[in-house]
Amino acid sequence: MLQHFFNPASVAVVGASQKPGKIGYDIFNNIVRYGYGGAVYPINPNAEEILGHKAYRDLASVSSKIDLAIIALPAGVVMDVLEQCGKKKIDSVVIITAGFKEIGPEGAHLEEDLAVRARELGIRVVGPNCLGIIDTASSLNASFAAGMPFAGRIGFFSQSGALCVAILDWALGENVGFSRFVSLGNKMDISETDILLSMEQDENTRVILGYLESIEDGQRFMRASRKVSKTKPIIIIKSGTTGSGAKAASSHTGALAGSDHAYRAAFKQSGIIHAESMQSLFGYAMAFANQPLPKGPRLAIITNSGGPGILAADACDRSSLYLSPIRKKTADRLREFLPPTASVYNPIDIIGDASHERYEKTLEVILKDDLIHAVLILLTPTASVDAEAVARGVVDLAKDVDKPIMTAFMGGERVRGARKIFQDHAIPTYDYPEDAVAAMDAMLSYRRWREKPEREYRRFEADTRKVRKIFASVVKQHRHDLIENEAREILNAYGFELPESRIAKTTMEAVKAASEIGYPVVMKIASPDILHKSDIGGVRVRLENDAMVKDAFFDITANIQLRQPQARILGVMVQEMIPQGKEVILGITRDIQFGPMIMFGLGGIYVEVLKDVAFRIAPLSRKEAEAMIHDIRSFPLLRGVRGEAPVDIEGIRNALLRLSQMAIDFPEIIEADINPLLVRPEGQGVVAVDARITVQE
Amino acid sequence: MTTEGGVKDMIPLYVGSTKGYSGKNLIVMGIGQRFLKDGLKVGYFRPFGRLPIKVDDVLTDKDAWFIHKVLLLKDPVDTLCPVVMTHDMKVEGCRGECSGLDVKILKAFEAVSKGKDIVLIGGAGTLESGTFLNISGFDCIEKLNARVLLVDHYDSEFYLDGVLDAQNRTGERLLGVILNSVQAGYVEKINDLIIPFLERKGIPSFGVLPYDAVLGSVMIADIVDSFAGDVLCCRNKMDGLIEHFLIGGMQVDQALKYIRKARNNAVIVGGDRADIQLAAIEASTQCLILTGNLYPNEIVVSRAETRGVPIIVVRDDTYLAAKKMEELSRKLRLKEKEKVSCGIRLIEEKVDFERLYKALGISV
Repeated sequence: MLQHFFNPASVAVVGASQKPGKIGYDIFNNIVRYGYGGAVYPINPNAEEILGHKAYRDLASVSSKIDLAIIALPAGVVMDVLEQCGKKKIDSVVIITAGFKEIGPEGAHLEEDLAVRARELGIRVVGPNCLGIIDTASSLNASFAAGMPFAGRIGFFSQSGALCVAILDWALGENVGFSRFVSLGNKMDISETDILLSMEQDENTRVILGYLESIEDGQRFMRASRKVSKTKPIIIIKSGTTGSGAKAASSHTGALAGSDHAYRAAFKQSGIIHAESMQSLFGYAMAFANQPLPKGPRLAIITNSGGPGILAADACDRSSLYLSPIRKKTADRLREFLPPTASVYNPIDIIGDASHERYEKTLEVILKDDLIHAVLILLTPTASVDAEAVARGVVDLAKDVDKPIMTAFMGGERVRGARKIFQDHAIPTYDYPEDAVAAMDAMLSYRRWREKPEREYRRFEADTRKVRKIFASVVKQHRHDLIENEAREILNAYGFELPESRIAKTTMEAVKAASEIGYPVVMKIASPDILHKSDIGGVRVRLENDAMVKDAFFDITANIQLRQPQARILGVMVQEMIPQGKEVILGITRDIQFGPMIMFGLGGIYVEVLKDVAFRIAPLSRKEAEAMIHDIRSFPLLRGVRGEAPVDIEGIRNALLRLSQMAIDFPEIIEADINPLLVRPEGQGVVAVDARITVQE
Repeated sequence: MTTEGGVKDMIPLYVGSTKGYSGKNLIVMGIGQRFLKDGLKVGYFRPFGRLPIKVDDVLTDKDAWFIHKVLLLKDPVDTLCPVVMTHDMKVEGCRGECSGLDVKILKAFEAVSKGKDIVLIGGAGTLESGTFLNISGFDCIEKLNARVLLVDHYDSEFYLDGVLDAQNRTGERLLGVILNSVQAGYVEKINDLIIPFLERKGIPSFGVLPYDAVLGSVMIADIVDSFAGDVLCCRNKMDGLIEHFLIGGMQVDQALKYIRKARNNAVIVGGDRADIQLAAIEASTQCLILTGNLYPNEIVVSRAETRGVPIIVVRDDTYLAAKKMEELSRKLRLKEKEKVSCGIRLIEEKVDFERLYKALGISV
């Protein structure tokens, strides 16, 4: 896939220049200088030759076949060059040129025209407005970056060219190698998803790293990531995730869902490792590129001082890792050579006077303990320790081990040499123990993701014809909000259990309805104009007799008349009261990038105040629905605390799946809330008490 | 009936309007207080209320009950407003299941009238409201044999149409008019053209009340109430009055200009616009209304707290909130103390009571 971009037999640089300082010069210079082995054709009508290569006046003048064209000319002539590429049957083009979508509507039009024409000509395009691409295996540096990374196992793509340059420079200093470097630019044609798929097939790439500001087609990106991440870890940092989701929303779900939630959910569901900072992006990359995945969560910490050991243990506690117990045999062996004040239990503190021999011996014993899945070695530069000797020892012992080993040698000058040794020998090393633990935790999560069975979807029976009819009539009336009865019918069509209810227009009708349904009942105002009924006194609960129903009817209608006199009132809904259960909230919102998103939270203050909610992108698999329920902090309340019986968690799961199915079946649903969904004790099901659905044509 | 004074029989005086929300309640309170001060035995009665509430388990009308309290009247609640438009009545009225309402009104009125010199009858809505139940203003005027005082806002010459129509239908009973809430630009025209026209038609004017910003203001508590908003700070400032609404959708410097210019303003702005929020607080707005159910960050709240600016978070978006707010200030019912006393002062000053008494045949 995209072979001509990364391993072309020939490259033309349109706009190659002989003047240093020009981008056209830098690119051509990079291609020539870093030992690209294929044919190179500088295209420049005003030059005889550039850097010792014969220059051509245009692409047509080159008689041989060209695999890849790099365009570094002003925006105004790019279309012309594209046409020439078409004539020359060039199928891969990198447009370096800026001055398109990023400068405003005019540039955006130009870019759109280019995209259309490229598609017609069958040309794939990276850019425009990008830094270029680098492939270390074919020694191709078709970019205007200053420098060429070492060959390595990390494939990197970035939406920001500037970031590419910075990272390249950093990587050179840190001795970090890359397989590929792709600057995506404006993503006119080739997007992050295409790059992911191409890197999946690139045998030199072991880890995929990405910096993203936006995602082009969320659902396609998720499908691709889900597939690629089963064989190669994908680590992504996404900027611009906060604040941007702020928008006016009429429902709980809508107000809580921001694009940040959508990204987090999408990453979680596609096996993407989400780096929160540049530091963790590279921290993770070093671990994934160089170490085997841990087979389990048990971590051993070896340290020569108490403090860092405790810091690491604390970090461990906050992660899915835990401090491994030590087999008696291991402890006994450690005791043989460790001083009596040392701690042979995890964290293994070999104390301040430890020499490199003590480190080596300890590591050797620890690595043999089959309980231990991963090792973290900490060091503070005491007077008695030779950090470099320790590093060499660790490198030596790590050679034939299939357990991940990480290091955090704290300090500055006195550990610099040791760090360099680790870098040269592919042992991840971190400034602080927390970073090491975080990287190890990411590896464990990834391993678990890989071991996850295939996603299982369950389809429930649903009367989609009935739902379609209701939506059609709503849209025909130019409405967006469904009235409660319509929402109830839709939920009913998707197999939700609903409380029995009637609409009463008068007090006497309410009394009659209540006695037919049976006491106690709940009463709520029925009006298409009132979405948050209890806010304005439109709800009364636990009504036990006729007198209470009469009073409630008066109170509810009088309240509305007073506070929202213009609201259309259909009457008052008299509803069966579900005697016991916990209230949860389920919802649908539609994310611009990823499509339908399902929300789950515990009712009342848990959602409103504590924002304790979980999100996933639909369609949900069974496991994802279960994970959502476990994700919220208040989950123990559902499982039952202080002798309380657990609620019907399977019922909630099925409700989430039904809702997810509904969101996929009907893209016109832009927002929906089931609030509350009453959950009865285990095995007794759930009831959708109140629901709101908003549609858009 | 006063024997020594100048009132022979009890006088029923119906205060109505040709359009709704014209300030009838305020006028009733203002002239009622004056009548009381002048030693008349005053009754207050509302045949048909539209805001059902229960007082001591008796169904009555919210505004009527308020006026009853302001005038410190002692009549029992159950005769104050015999017919109140409950939801049941709306439905049953349409189904033709409501009858005998007129009899109910008459009975209650007789009870209120006992021992009074004058009974102020407060109309609801327009003179036509309640026609479908046979208890419109016109119906009541006729049945209660009342004199009619029309209170209206002046908006255009078409105002005269309504008045003349009322004259046609009430004839001799029409006492005259009061123009309420007249914008400064209209005063001259009203004095030059409108009042002379009415006088020629035999309809006297008892006063022209100028527009008053305080009277058109909205209490912060009412904003909270009608939006079901969430108050984040300064709950002790809920009785503040808002005279102007500003929408904070522009650049900060622009917004500041408007905020500083408008007296007693509230700023409506998206919950995510911290820039405008902070600027508004610094420019001493009276109240911040944050839309979209978006909560501001802590800095904004603590700043507002220090400067004493209440923050209200509402669910509506900015457009809807502004629309609602406009409606609120147009329709707001009189209930704040400050507004009532301001209104009564204005009536005292601007209504020609001498002429009114003369028209009513009362000498005090």
